[in-house]
Amino acid sequence: MILSGPGASRRRGRGPRAGSPSFTARGRTLAVPRLAGLALAAALLGPLGGCALLQTPPQTRALLAAPPADLPPRAERVDTPFFPQTDYECGPAALATALGAAGIDVRPEALTEQVYLPARRGSLQLEMLAAARRRGALAVRLPGTLDALLRELAAGRPVVVLQNLSLPIAPRWHYAVLVGYDLAAHELLLRSGTTERQVLGLTPFEHTWARGGHWAFVAVPPGELPASASEDEVTAASVAFERVAEPAAALRAYEAALARWPGNLTLAIGVGNSRYAAGDVAGAADAFEAAARRHDSAAAWINLAELRLQQGRHDAAEAAARQAVARGAAEPGFVDAAAATLAKVLGAPR
Amino acid sequence: MNRTKRWVATLVAASVSYAGMLQSAQAGLVGTAQVAEAQGVVSVDTRAAEQRARVLSLLDRADVAAGLQEHGLSADQARERVAALTDAEVEQLAHTIDTAPAGADSFLGVLVFIFVLLLVTDILGLTKVFPFTRSVR
Repeated sequence: MILSGPGASRRRGRGPRAGSPSFTARGRTLAVPRLAGLALAAALLGPLGGCALLQTPPQTRALLAAPPADLPPRAERVDTPFFPQTDYECGPAALATALGAAGIDVRPEALTEQVYLPARRGSLQLEMLAAARRRGALAVRLPGTLDALLRELAAGRPVVVLQNLSLPIAPRWHYAVLVGYDLAAHELLLRSGTTERQVLGLTPFEHTWARGGHWAFVAVPPGELPASASEDEVTAASVAFERVAEPAAALRAYEAALARWPGNLTLAIGVGNSRYAAGDVAGAADAFEAAARRHDSAAAWINLAELRLQQGRHDAAEAAARQAVARGAAEPGFVDAAAATLAKVLGAPR
Repeated sequence: MNRTKRWVATLVAASVSYAGMLQSAQAGLVGTAQVAEAQGVVSVDTRAAEQRARVLSLLDRADVAAGLQEHGLSADQARERVAALTDAEVEQLAHTIDTAPAGADSFLGVLVFIFVLLLVTDILGLTKVFPFTRSVR
């Protein structure tokens, strides 16, 4: 599901507002003895499936059984800013926190009109990513593994996560920002809601995060790459970033990603397109030519032909356009564009 | 309400398609997003193209503006937010707005039960609703 933010439950009108003052007050009177809670839990959960529910969740179990050797036992990005959320606006607060850690100073209030949907009393996940891009950060989804989260934290990069703090029958969606962990203590550290440094056990975190669909992302300055994100996610994030970013920023993102995955055609085309958008025709042509030769890609040949034409190099333009046309059978999606480019090159005054 | 959602979804999809069209018109270059799509990195519904032509007239409609207002958005804000989304994201968004849960009041009669359940599940580390609970593990 894409819907997020606390609105999902609040929208149901008289839903269980577990965080509201009246509930908190009642909770204090009920919360007393842990043993009584356990007994009650056994009584309540027994019929629902009992033991399976009470096990340590799978990722936590695997992680604690065999912590990756290359992972430091603890990490915390203590200088991560904190913005206590107001009302239901955990989305803007979490986003401002992550952007601040990436060196982009912005107040949650300034993000509200970019991510908050008043009628839903929440923020959509997609808009969280989009708003990060609008503020100049590359927003990259992470794999849904604790390992990926911890690797980002070890690299000093806070992670925005979506949790469902409650149960699926009465969801309470919540965005929070992981800032650190302590493996020996089985704990994660978060900026969450109105708590500046929440200490949350791995087990409750994994349960609430799993119910949020294992959704997590990092906001990185263009030119940096997340430690654990996949090639596809970084590529998708870079392409989305190009749509709204300054050409120079998009170029930094593409060049960094291409350096890590030099065989990625999309990234190579992105380097060319953003160089062109930044006014560097010769550099863009170089990028397209390299991509064309490496991948024999119709798109790269087309773009190369267009730029050679702009440079007044008609023969080179024609040669590239003919290569693009020759790719017709292999890449039917670009047949029309290749033919149009060749016609344009042939019709251009010499 | 559904009508509003439909309008917003259509508007969103159409606006982005339009923005995409503007972008790919530059200099006859193939856009990166188009290559990404061909490479299978992102998938985009081709139906988005059909909605392009409708965008300008849609934006001018009073009922669309009213629908956006109902969602707490001005048309200008919506345009900007939509421009920051990719085609694939818009498609997802349109789907979400159409299918997001609209209500489940039948559950709410058992409010107290849920409260108690959440309290104990908090203590067991399955949930984290109450600030004062501490998991036993």
